[in-house]
Amino acid sequence: MKEKNNLRKTLSVFICVACCSLFVSCGNSNTGNADKTKDNESGISASEIDKKNGGNNDDDYAASRDIFAMDTYMTVKAYGSNADEAVEEAIKEIERLDGMLSATDKDSEIYKLNMNQGGSLSEDVSYLIERSKEIYESTEGTFNIAIYPIVEKWGFASGDYNVPTQDELNELLKDTDFSKVNYDKNNQSLLYETETMKIDLGGIAKGYTSARIMDIFKDLGVTSGIVNLGGNVQVLGTKTDGSDWKVAIQDPLDEDSYIGVLKTHDKAVITSGGYERYFEKDGVRYHHIIDPKTGYPADSGLISVTIVCSDGTMADCLSTSLFIMGKDEAIAYWKKHSSEFDTILYTENNELLVTEGIADQFTSELNITIINDDK
Amino acid sequence: MKKKDIILGITIIIIGLILMFVMKLYNNSQGDEVIIKVDGKIYGKYSLDKNQEIEIDTEYGHNTVCIENRKAYMKEADCPDGYCKHQGHISKGNQTIVCLPHKLVVEIKVNDKSSGDNAKLGNNNVSKDNDSEDELIPDAIVK
Repeated sequence: MKEKNNLRKTLSVFICVACCSLFVSCGNSNTGNADKTKDNESGISASEIDKKNGGNNDDDYAASRDIFAMDTYMTVKAYGSNADEAVEEAIKEIERLDGMLSATDKDSEIYKLNMNQGGSLSEDVSYLIERSKEIYESTEGTFNIAIYPIVEKWGFASGDYNVPTQDELNELLKDTDFSKVNYDKNNQSLLYETETMKIDLGGIAKGYTSARIMDIFKDLGVTSGIVNLGGNVQVLGTKTDGSDWKVAIQDPLDEDSYIGVLKTHDKAVITSGGYERYFEKDGVRYHHIIDPKTGYPADSGLISVTIVCSDGTMADCLSTSLFIMGKDEAIAYWKKHSSEFDTILYTENNELLVTEGIADQFTSELNITIINDDK
Repeated sequence: MKKKDIILGITIIIIGLILMFVMKLYNNSQGDEVIIKVDGKIYGKYSLDKNQEIEIDTEYGHNTVCIENRKAYMKEADCPDGYCKHQGHISKGNQTIVCLPHKLVVEIKVNDKSSGDNAKLGNNNVSKDNDSEDELIPDAIVK
């Protein structure tokens, strides 16, 4: 009798343990699946396209890919039933523009223009030259794609760094006058006035690329998407749940923190700062954003400038420009163009300034000074 | 005897459920991962909770990623520009360190409860919590 009881007990214990382990393993396999979905979302493999579990709603379907291009790391993500095609087309567009706009690739249109002191232009380059001219003029020469000979001299193009002498810079500065690059709009051609002139679209190419991707998304009926081209972000629509995208701005002084978070939709959010791409020599830090007036890395008192603008191309140009201008000039520029963009400025004295158009959407643990347009 | 068997059975099931719950909780807190990708493919996944040095040797070059006190950083790299070493210590969801010349990306994947099942089921009771949790993980970071 006792033996039978023992047997029963053992049996019930065994069954219970079996049940429990089943429960636990079920739990584990669930988290396993969840992880897999998430991994795919971030585009773990460049060729892998994710499909959210369930697929009960087409709008929730997400496709994403990542790619190394334009000297940076890019991620592209689209939602909806055409997401796959939209992402494929976006990657193709990135590769096409990268091959065309690179200043170092010997087969690129820009490289050939620089070798031949001009030539005829493709539609894309023609548009970019026009926009560059427009912003060169509105920023009074601060946005200057003809600064490239000086960028090369510093070694930022090759990685072979060197601090040029003032004499060398003065000599080169003569050949960085963008107004001496003659653009013929009717014939879509370019002619450099001197042999040593060179242009580089690095300050506009990524913004243009993200803007192009938004167009591709729209053409394919995609209403929700986000691209991050090496820290230059542009979003289409809102997230699929209707809420705004959250874009965090890196704190230049503490890599693991953010200056703040912006909630936004249908905008490009592009930041310029000198805290990542730099080299050090004899204890001095030289970053890659060159002030075209001095030929030296900009030292304006601003350490991070973010532009929020529905036009990605413009946002890219202006982030560099306002970074070089410094706080006062940047605010003055914004006041003249306040209908076109908003900006977040962060100074070396930890002052955080935000223009009124986005003040409500921006949250930060720091004290925020709101800049109003006094018009 | 039969009654006692049932009690024993129920007790074990309850213990099992508690164990399962604890394990899930444990899983969640341990879920934060450092994902290293080379050329778009996963090189490895590492727990953010375990201090370690990861040596990565590929056709592109050598990198050493260090995980220390729940933060990951690029300790060494033989790339020409060295920019990856400037990108600091990262620990938050969607933060990345990128070594371009070596096509290497170090990415933090936070076990994001907010975008998980709860959000999908539209569970209103937890939406408040989700919001605050959500706040910590941006969709993108500009720099």
